[in-house]
Amino acid sequence: MIPALSLVGSLFGTPALSQALPAAAQPSNVAAAGSDFGHVFAQVGEAIDSIKAGESAAISGLQGQTSVQHVVESVMSAERSLQTVVAIRDKIVSAYQSISQMAI
Amino acid sequence: MIDPIDATIKIASSGLETQSARLRIVAENMANAQSTGPASGADPYARKTVTFESELDQATGVDLVRIKNIGVDRTPFRIEHDPGSPAADSKGFVKLPNVNMIMEMADLREANRSYEANLQVIKQANSLSSSTIDLLRNSS
Repeated sequence: MIPALSLVGSLFGTPALSQALPAAAQPSNVAAAGSDFGHVFAQVGEAIDSIKAGESAAISGLQGQTSVQHVVESVMSAERSLQTVVAIRDKIVSAYQSISQMAI
Repeated sequence: MIDPIDATIKIASSGLETQSARLRIVAENMANAQSTGPASGADPYARKTVTFESELDQATGVDLVRIKNIGVDRTPFRIEHDPGSPAADSKGFVKLPNVNMIMEMADLREANRSYEANLQVIKQANSLSSSTIDLLRNSS
């Protein structure tokens, strides 16, 4: 679960958005900008996969192998990771839309 | 580097686990407050004690808490004259556990309070984390 959040945190370091804005101004770089958005989404997908792994660990804990406190902690952590990823995804989508709907 | 709010929840969660283990020890002591020994003149159930220690979590570098040791209380057993009991010795005295109900109640209450305090820490950290993420969501 903790790697999930740090993975999301690494999204901030990707130059995708900062590259996308000047790239949209230059027609020759539009294709490169598109692949940057795709790259960002691929990383969000990885984060969601790790959240799923956390959830399944929590479910196996519910079968009596770990304490209920540990299960609650895992599920809450996965939930927070998911909320972060969803919020960042919304942010990325709105950035993409504001570029694609830009008046030419 | 680990997110401090994540670390907070992890620490408080270790507190929850140790306090629930302590609660279990108190339950064992209270349930066995009248348990006599298996044979004539044998020692009865001895009160269990629990001690805690801090534990450095290698992955995150924070101090968690864990059970250090579940020990045995060495105070002398109570002795009652009850010749009819199967656990009575040749003079009719029965050894009863050294469990003091008032002490156990105090321990129980302390474990309960500590558990609630850790729960409150988790609630606060969770709410802080949610509102921070909401900041990202609502600003658009």
